[in-house]
Amino acid sequence: MRRRTALVVILVAGIVALSAGIYVGRSDRQPSDGTQREEAAATLLGLTLPDVAGKETPLAQWRGKLLVVNFWATWCAPCREEMPEFVRLQAEFGAKGLQFVGIAVDDADKVRQFAAEIGLNYPALIGGFGAMELSKTLGNRLMALPFTVIVSRDGTIAHTQLGPLKGDQLLAMVGKLI
Amino acid sequence: MAALTLGAASAQSPDLLEPERAFSLSARALDATTVEARFAIADGYYLYRDKLKLSLEPGALVAAPVLPPGKIKQDEFFGKVETYRGKVVVRVSLAAPAPGATVTVKAESQGCADVGVCYPPQVQKIALSLPAGAGPGPVVEFAPVKKNWFK
Repeated sequence: MRRRTALVVILVAGIVALSAGIYVGRSDRQPSDGTQREEAAATLLGLTLPDVAGKETPLAQWRGKLLVVNFWATWCAPCREEMPEFVRLQAEFGAKGLQFVGIAVDDADKVRQFAAEIGLNYPALIGGFGAMELSKTLGNRLMALPFTVIVSRDGTIAHTQLGPLKGDQLLAMVGKLI
Repeated sequence: MAALTLGAASAQSPDLLEPERAFSLSARALDATTVEARFAIADGYYLYRDKLKLSLEPGALVAAPVLPPGKIKQDEFFGKVETYRGKVVVRVSLAAPAPGATVTVKAESQGCADVGVCYPPQVQKIALSLPAGAGPGPVVEFAPVKKNWFK
């Protein structure tokens, strides 16, 4: 192969590789642009899920509240550990418009048992694989738990958190958004 | 905070490995009857023993695979809980030798990270050829399906 041809081939190959790398990097990024988030928030508020008794429960009834939607499961120890703090905050700020909603990717029986144990004072809804897929569009790329979404009174997403939400951090956010 | 600014939602997310990398699965045939599956578990991650299931497709197993003991922890809700860290190796044996046959090792697992996050249950499969003669065969790593660039 002639030297110039070889150099051109190398240059072109380099550009292709670089573009491919940029493309993959972009496509791997979490959905984070405003429109996708807005759509995901609308989908979340439009959701209807059964509670532990099987009663279909629409999330739309809580529009206008400061909504803290917590995706969890009884098989997730870190999820169980943060819930007593949610119960305390619900008791303290419920009258002011704070509403926790738990979406458990779990059996209703196990959820009911745990809810009774910790004196759960907010709705425990049962979500399946669809709920985990929804959490992915909200930014939970790995579909891990716990995953919490805070929805402001105006229906927009104020905060998302993968992993436990510390009491003082949550309290600070509730104080500002309530 | 963020709520007063249009479109500026805050997000917090720990640095987490993909589950296939946090719990890296590989397998090899030891001979025409037995397969060995291994999870290499990254530091700061662990698997639950009671959520670990190994099986072979197709093929009747001589017995349910024996899972090694894990580290025992007392959990407030579930009582005694056993977990694996570092690595876990499980042997699965067919009821009858199948030299030269292709089998699929199926591993079901569920694990968490110490930072306080749990992954959904995973199902992974590895295709293996059982040796026609004496073993062992090569180690085969689990390969996740390549992402579709055009999605």
